[in-house]
Amino acid sequence: MSFQSPMPSREFLWDIFRRVDKDRSGYISADELQQALSNGTWNPFNPETVRLMIGMFDKQNRGVISFEDFGALWKYVSDWQNCFRSFDRDNSGNIDRQELKNALTAFGYRLSDEIVTIMVQKFDRFGRGTILFDDFIQCCITLYTLTSAFRQFDTDQDGVITIHYEQFLKMVFGLKCWP
Amino acid sequence: MAYNPGYGQPGYGQPGYGQPGGQPGYGQPGGQPGYGQPAYGGQPVGQLEIGHGPYPSVGAGGGISPQVQQWFAAVDKDKSGFISVPELKSALVNGQGQNFSDTACHLMIGMFDKDRSGHINVEEFDKLYTYINQWLAVFKTYDVDQSGQIDEQELSKALNQMGFRFSPEFINFLAKRSDSKEGKISVDSFIVLCVQIQRFTEAFRKRDTQQNGTVTIGFEDFLNVALSCSI
Repeated sequence: MSFQSPMPSREFLWDIFRRVDKDRSGYISADELQQALSNGTWNPFNPETVRLMIGMFDKQNRGVISFEDFGALWKYVSDWQNCFRSFDRDNSGNIDRQELKNALTAFGYRLSDEIVTIMVQKFDRFGRGTILFDDFIQCCITLYTLTSAFRQFDTDQDGVITIHYEQFLKMVFGLKCWP
Repeated sequence: MAYNPGYGQPGYGQPGYGQPGGQPGYGQPGGQPGYGQPAYGGQPVGQLEIGHGPYPSVGAGGGISPQVQQWFAAVDKDKSGFISVPELKSALVNGQGQNFSDTACHLMIGMFDKDRSGHINVEEFDKLYTYINQWLAVFKTYDVDQSGQIDEQELSKALNQMGFRFSPEFINFLAKRSDSKEGKISVDSFIVLCVQIQRFTEAFRKRDTQQNGTVTIGFEDFLNVALSCSI
């Protein structure tokens, strides 16, 4: 399944970049990015998702996004948007438990209803039993991070690993499963 | 992996995990609920700023002390009768003069917010107040130079005395992963770090049926632990 969107032109990106870079510093900060992104409600965009995204695209490790990095970030957000919309079958602007399960199944996960329920509870910021766009991204990135960590140890690919205490802690420590 | 489990660390009485060849012992500090530190009390409430100066006291006896009620009223800015994460955050200042992190406030409200409403009432706040004071007392013990922050070595010592036996590499990993600035850990980061370790250790211990410091865990159970115990 592909949610790829084409890379927009440099002019288009520059126009957006300048509008997001409110203080004209030449870089987009976490605050500026958060203000520019919408989750479809009046509530501010999930700050943890913003942090994760800056971490992914900030090549110089300065906690800000330069114009050079911005294209990749823009495309990333657009791809997520396509993905989110395609699973939001009822166009409600949010994803319910069944829609999340369908999405994760399409990504190749085979998860029980119990785990999907835990995920909705964990990433549902407003206690409505549904997940918004920004929370959906956080949920998927977190699941991906955990799966990658697990796979490293699951060399025989049987879905079971044997690990030591410190290895275990390293895999799970520092996750933030709340916005 | 051959290492000597050797349980029964004096003073802890908990089975131990640790690095191979390391000392046994892990679990809650002192083995008491609430992380086993005696409540830090007897000092008058000075100011809302904590981590420096006079630490607020814990009211003795039943009921909610006037001091706690005073505190509650001061923190509950919108006079809703509840304290939310932002209200708690604006009331708590660490030794660097910065407000406590969102993570720390979210964690602490979540621990005492029994009905999952996202805010706490005065009774819940009373418990949280005690809890924060206990952590401050623990932190103060290790913050030898009273700088309001501890370094990697002091962190190592603190975790050691709580009964955790970690390798130097792991301590270094922890110091880097937590919200530390130049390797210095403030009291709010310290609380978050310790609570996370405690939760994950608890989950690990339940699954370590052989008590040899290893677990065999399936993918779903792993996800369950990671999601349920993280903040």
